[in-house]
Amino acid sequence: MSADTSPPEDPGGAAAAEPGDGVRPDDEPRPATYYHLARAVLYREFLIFVRYPANAIGGIVVSLFFFAALFLGGQLLAGQALADSIEGIVVGYFLWTLSVGAYSSVSNDIGSEVQWGTLERHITTPFGFAPVALLKGVAKVVRTFLTSAVILAVMLLATGTRLSLAPVTVVAVAGLSIVSVLGLGFAAGGVTVLYKRIGNWLNLLQFGFVGLISAPVFDLPWTRVLPLAHGSAMLQRAMVDGTRLWEFPPADLALLVAVAGGYLAGGYLVFQLATRRARRLGVLGDY
Amino acid sequence: MARSAASASDGPRKRDETRSADDDASTDGLTGPPALSVERLTKRFGDGDDAVTAVDDVSLAVERGSVVGLLGPNGAGKTTLIKCALGIVVPDAGSVRVFGNDVGDGRRAAYADVDAMLEGARNDYWRLTVRENLRYFATISGVDPDSVAARHDRLLDRLDLADKADTPVRDLSRGMKQKVSLASVLAGGAELVFLDEPTLGLDVESARTLRAELRRLAVEEGLTIVVSSHDMTTIEAVCDRVVMLSNGRIVADDSVEALLGAAASDAVRVASPDLDAEAVAGLREAFEVLDVDREARPPAVTVAAGGDRLYDLTDALRAAGVTVSDIRTVQPDLEEVFLERTGSDLGAPSGGDRR
Repeated sequence: MSADTSPPEDPGGAAAAEPGDGVRPDDEPRPATYYHLARAVLYREFLIFVRYPANAIGGIVVSLFFFAALFLGGQLLAGQALADSIEGIVVGYFLWTLSVGAYSSVSNDIGSEVQWGTLERHITTPFGFAPVALLKGVAKVVRTFLTSAVILAVMLLATGTRLSLAPVTVVAVAGLSIVSVLGLGFAAGGVTVLYKRIGNWLNLLQFGFVGLISAPVFDLPWTRVLPLAHGSAMLQRAMVDGTRLWEFPPADLALLVAVAGGYLAGGYLVFQLATRRARRLGVLGDY
Repeated sequence: MARSAASASDGPRKRDETRSADDDASTDGLTGPPALSVERLTKRFGDGDDAVTAVDDVSLAVERGSVVGLLGPNGAGKTTLIKCALGIVVPDAGSVRVFGNDVGDGRRAAYADVDAMLEGARNDYWRLTVRENLRYFATISGVDPDSVAARHDRLLDRLDLADKADTPVRDLSRGMKQKVSLASVLAGGAELVFLDEPTLGLDVESARTLRAELRRLAVEEGLTIVVSSHDMTTIEAVCDRVVMLSNGRIVADDSVEALLGAAASDAVRVASPDLDAEAVAGLREAFEVLDVDREARPPAVTVAAGGDRLYDLTDALRAAGVTVSDIRTVQPDLEEVFLERTGSDLGAPSGGDRR
């Protein structure tokens, strides 16, 4: 992603038509711009989402089942104590489904692409892997938001809870929170490229997200630099207390952005190092 | 096909126009550097006693528009060589240039013009339709899919996939999936295409169609194709030139005709009901008898009798009272050429089974 960025104002690439090459003009291949790349990657995700809804619906059903177990079981065990904290639980669970969705879709996607032999076609693209991976990540996050929104709606209806759902605030805070998880997904995907079996074990990491989401950021401030922890606390304030995005202290917002960017960059770096090593070991593109 | 997209200055398909002197040295007067130029390439896997040298000091240049076969048993280093050329395996030593761009450093520029169908890889998305795959992979290879829509239609027509253009790949037969995989590799307009065992697992009919299509695509689209296979039928049918690999080294590199011609041994097979033990013993005194087939009806001997020795052979047969029912020169195939050069046959894996 350096000097070869294509001009966005030239999506058709028409200006690139090359004179003097002696090629039939009706068939002149034009270079694809980043606009075309974005369209292709997002369109593919969209097609798979609408064509195979069973995957998304299955995920929603499983998530709701776990929530029902948590809620009903909690009522039996904790009674009123649970009722007092139900808002916090709903918000935490919402963030957890988002995190798991983003993490597993990225790491599983990389695993599947290794199996299909399509990963190296993305690594050997003239665009470079970074923009492709980022676009795929964006598509996964959007997709995860859609399914988690359904889960959130059902949770609110079933428990009779009321939360502040200011869309800009919720999407911004929750979105930035799970970008850090996206980074972990890239790292896990990279490790899967190198050590195929470990990939499955890394899926267990998503249960660790529960700990991060409920990290005691007030008692142990350093936990704020862990993925999810700081964002989770902010999301609680936004959804339970109704704090708007612009009402947060700038330092909190800055930390949220820094944690998101840091883990994303770190995760991508791990992925880069892993694929570089895979190239040296000759295991990239082994089926 | 047009290399214009690749040479357009904006977009990621920007290419490195700087050429070094050694590129031009090996072009034999053709414009620009060769499609593929491999120099002293070496790749080892593992270390210590377990180390396997998959590619051992290989140098090779492939001219534009030619169809070159890499022939060798499993483990000979074919796939490693291809993966080094694609940049998905980093060599220990040596360099690979694709249209003059070093795959090692100016990687992205090199990627624009090269693509591959690797053995065992699905290579495409089975949940997308055939056309969606072509459009997707054209974009990934740096080509605006709308600008090559007509080309994609032509490609689908040619590969007999036009009816299936809007069918998800997972619903197609194995032979068709293989063709979609090929089409998706060609969709982005790569001009150097590696095909690793393209006919593996196909039935006889599908393999024949694919071979014919490969040949046609190479001629009509001006593609440079490197086909790797341990199946000499594919190589013989498709390639102009054959590079034989064994244990990571090149053991032969020549045109198919030249390789077959050089091996066109002087073997002559004579069949006759009169070829009894005594007659064969007589022949052995004057000629090198390569093979005796007593089970054949009528029995046959294969004798080394090239050039003028053929006249001596017919004289000897007449003198021995052998009435010839059939006489023919033995046509060698690439398998025999390989056997002759390496002492091992193509079916046997050489070295470790590292691909």
